[in-house]
Amino acid sequence: MIKIVKESFDLENEFQKISSNKNGAYSFFLGTVRSDLSFSNTEIKGIFLECYEELALSQLEKIRLQALKKWDLSECIIIHRVGRLNLGEKIVLVITSSSHRSNSIEACEYVIDSLKIDVAFWKFHILDNEEKEIVYQKSKDSEKMLKWREIIN
Amino acid sequence: MNITIKYFSWIRVKLKKSHDLIELDERMSFKELKNNLISKDPIFQEIFKDNSVKYFLNLKELNDDDLILNNGDVLAFLPPVTGG
Repeated sequence: MIKIVKESFDLENEFQKISSNKNGAYSFFLGTVRSDLSFSNTEIKGIFLECYEELALSQLEKIRLQALKKWDLSECIIIHRVGRLNLGEKIVLVITSSSHRSNSIEACEYVIDSLKIDVAFWKFHILDNEEKEIVYQKSKDSEKMLKWREIIN
Repeated sequence: MNITIKYFSWIRVKLKKSHDLIELDERMSFKELKNNLISKDPIFQEIFKDNSVKYFLNLKELNDDDLILNNGDVLAFLPPVTGG
C-alpha cells in the first residue's frame, strides 16, 4: 500500500492493516521533522514538502515491488506526507513484514534509502520569516544507494 | 500542438511558475524545444547546463534529446530529489 497525504497518520492503524499470523517480523521506519539550521545559521520553523504526485506514486510502487520480490515480504507500506510540516511532525512511514526479521529489516532500509534518491519529493526549510529555503540532496545518500543498486540488480 | 512542462524545486522558484503550456506550430525534438525555451528566457540555459537535472516525458525518464515530442506530451524538469 502506498499513500501520499497531507494529513498525519497513525502507526497502530497502519500496523493493523498488515498484521497477520503468517508474519514473524515487522520493521518500521518513521522519519520526522528535526530541528536544523538554515544556510544563514538560524533555527528552522519546519519544512515544506513538494511532490510530483503522479510520478512519485509510480516510483514508490516500483520500489515497493522490488522490495517485496527481493526480500520475500508479505507486505510493504509506504506513506509520505506533503505540504507544510512543523518540527517533530511525521514525514514518512515504511513498514515491511516478513516471516523472519533479517528480510524485513534489510528491505525497510532499502525502501527508505531508495525513496531519498529516486522519488519525486523536494524538501524546503521554513525560515523564521516564513520564507522557504531549498534543501539540497546529500552526497552520502546517493553514495549509499550505489550499494543497493548492486544488491537489487 | 501543445506541450505541458512542469517545473519543480529550484527550477519552479527560479522561473516563478509551476508549469507552462507551450503551443508549437510544428513537431520538434526535445533538443529543438530546449533551444526554443532558451531563446525565450535565458534562465533555461542555466537549467539545461545543470547535469543533475533529470527530464521526464509522460512519467518516463527522458535521455534522448533527439526524441520527437507529440501533441499532449507532459514534460517535467526535476532537480535532485530530497524526500524522506
